[in-house]
Parts: sequence; C-alpha cells; structure tokens
Amino acid sequence: MNDFSELEDELKKLRPAQPSPILFERIEEAFADRRVSAAASARWNWWRLTQTPYSLGSGLAAAAVLVLFAVISLERRQDRGEKIAQISPAPEARPVSPARRNGSGVQGSTSSNRFIPAGATQVVYNTRDEGLQFARGSEQPLRRLRYQTHQTWQWRNPTTGASLRVSYPSEEVVLIPVSGQ
Amino acid sequence: MDNVASHEDWKSCFSEVAPGLLLFARQWVQSAADAEDVVQEAFVKFWRRNHNIENRALLYAAVRSIALDFIRRDRRRARREATVFAETEPAIEPQFEWGDETQSALAAAVGSLPHDQREVLVLKIWNELTFNEIAGALGISQNTAASRYRYALANLKKSLQPQ
Repeated sequence: MNDFSELEDELKKLRPAQPSPILFERIEEAFADRRVSAAASARWNWWRLTQTPYSLGSGLAAAAVLVLFAVISLERRQDRGEKIAQISPAPEARPVSPARRNGSGVQGSTSSNRFIPAGATQVVYNTRDEGLQFARGSEQPLRRLRYQTHQTWQWRNPTTGASLRVSYPSEEVVLIPVSGQ
Repeated sequence: MDNVASHEDWKSCFSEVAPGLLLFARQWVQSAADAEDVVQEAFVKFWRRNHNIENRALLYAAVRSIALDFIRRDRRRARREATVFAETEPAIEPQFEWGDETQSALAAAVGSLPHDQREVLVLKIWNELTFNEIAGALGISQNTAASRYRYALANLKKSLQPQ
C-alpha cells in the first residue's frame, strides 16, 4: 500500500465539484416541510386524543335520548288509550272482565296497556386500558379505560304479561385522574 | 438506533458530505442535475427514517439504490445516455475541480477506471469511508473492497506513467 501513498495524496488534492446552492436550498425546504407536517400531525393526534371520548360520549347520550324518547312516546300512546298491536292482545278478542261491567272498564283498559320498567342489565364484556394521557390544559395525567358493554332494558305489562326488551352494544371511555405518590 | 441529531447537525452533516455524495451519485447518472436529485432524495429519505447520522454506509447505500432506481425509472433516457457515453468515453467522468494539467490528467484517469474500482476509489478517497463501511454500502466483502481499491490505484499509476 505504501507504493501508492504518493498517488493517494495526489488524488486527495483533487476536489469534487461543489453542489449547486439550489441543492442546499432544496434540502432546507425538505427539512422545513417535515417540521410543518410533523407539527400538523401532532395537532391532529392531539385532536383525536381529546375529541374521541367526547364523540363517544355524544354517541352514548344520543342513544340514551332515543331510548328515553321511545319510552315517553310509548307511555303517551298508552295514556291516549291507543293499542300496541304488536305486543298487546286485541281487547275485542278477550272476554269482558267483571270490572268492565261495573263501569270501570276504561281504567281497566288503560292499566292493561301500561308497561312498567322490569329490569336493566349492563354486561361489560371487554375492558381495555389505553394508558396515560394529558387532557387539554391539564398537567395531571389521566388513565384512559375503554369499556365495551351490552345493555338491555326491559319493560313488562303486568296485566297482559307482554314484555318489551331493547338491547344494544355500547362503548364507554372513562378518564381516571392519576395522582403521583 | 435512535437518531438524536438536531436539524442543525443534519444541515452541517449535509454540507460536509454533499460534494462526496454528489461525486458518488455521478458514478451512475451523467448530469449533475440528475445526481443532485438522487442525492437530495437519498439524504432526505435517510433523514426522515431517523437513521443514525453516523451510519455512513447506509447513507451511501441509499444513494446507490436511488441512483439505480433512477436509471430503471427512465430506461429510455438511460439507453440514450449509454449510447452517447459509448460514443464518447468508456466511463462516466467524475466532476472535479482541478487547477492544472496534472490534476486534469488524474481526473481523466479516474474516469477511465472500471466502474467497480472507481466506486470504491470514490468512497475511499473523497468520502473517507473505511473498507468496512464501503463493504456495507456496496454489499460486498471487506476484502473485495480492499482489493478493488488496490487495483484502482495500480491502474491509475499505470495509466499516469509516461509512455
């Protein structure tokens, strides 16, 4: 290798052509673009982190309102003496009860269409710990737990024995403050 | 390995290695503009993937890979360049800044080296890679890199001897 040391020195004196200034500008731009996109990505991740529980909460609230509306609507119909064809047997098909003969038939008819809450169950079939996070403007860490449940609401007509049952899956996100010891 | 270099470190690194990277890219693409495209793409990709700034073998391997992709992407142009190249010179002449006739002759001699020897020479002399790094960048053994380097120097010495 020593035979070539002089040649190597000569080669090292030969300088490669310098890149154009435009190349340096392009590299700078690529760095800047990356910084902007990284910041945008961080903002988007933060938005997702903070908005997801709210959107899930909104969904659950909307579902609860729908169920409530259905119950109220059902009760109003019963108050007006309307029949629920699907679940109540037709009064005409039944023999007239002694109470009806005594003049209290209207009350008897109303009570036969009344559904009362018979039960509610919530089965948690999956729980996932999604780790710690910081809520917007808060320095205290929160542990995020996601529960997947199956809820069932049941109403029963004590007179006719008919029952109404509504079941739906639901997801709940709970944020529990974590305090350092 | 995690990359903990700052943007300033990367800019400084690029300023330092850019001429050598460009010369290395010129082993495959003839025009300086194309070589700059290759170098930019390789360096930005290397940086975005958070590679270790010290892993030079990987950086040069990226330049080589992108240069080869560049040629494959534009086969028509590569054929045209190959045709022009065949008509004029047997090898792609690297771009150097030389000051006198001796250096001009040396640059021409480097340009006439076989491709496999020239790329090792370029990495060793103007990019200051070790044989181990050259082996990593080119996907060859360290012994092969060393022997190609010796052959390159021998060929240069021979071609520069007065007739």
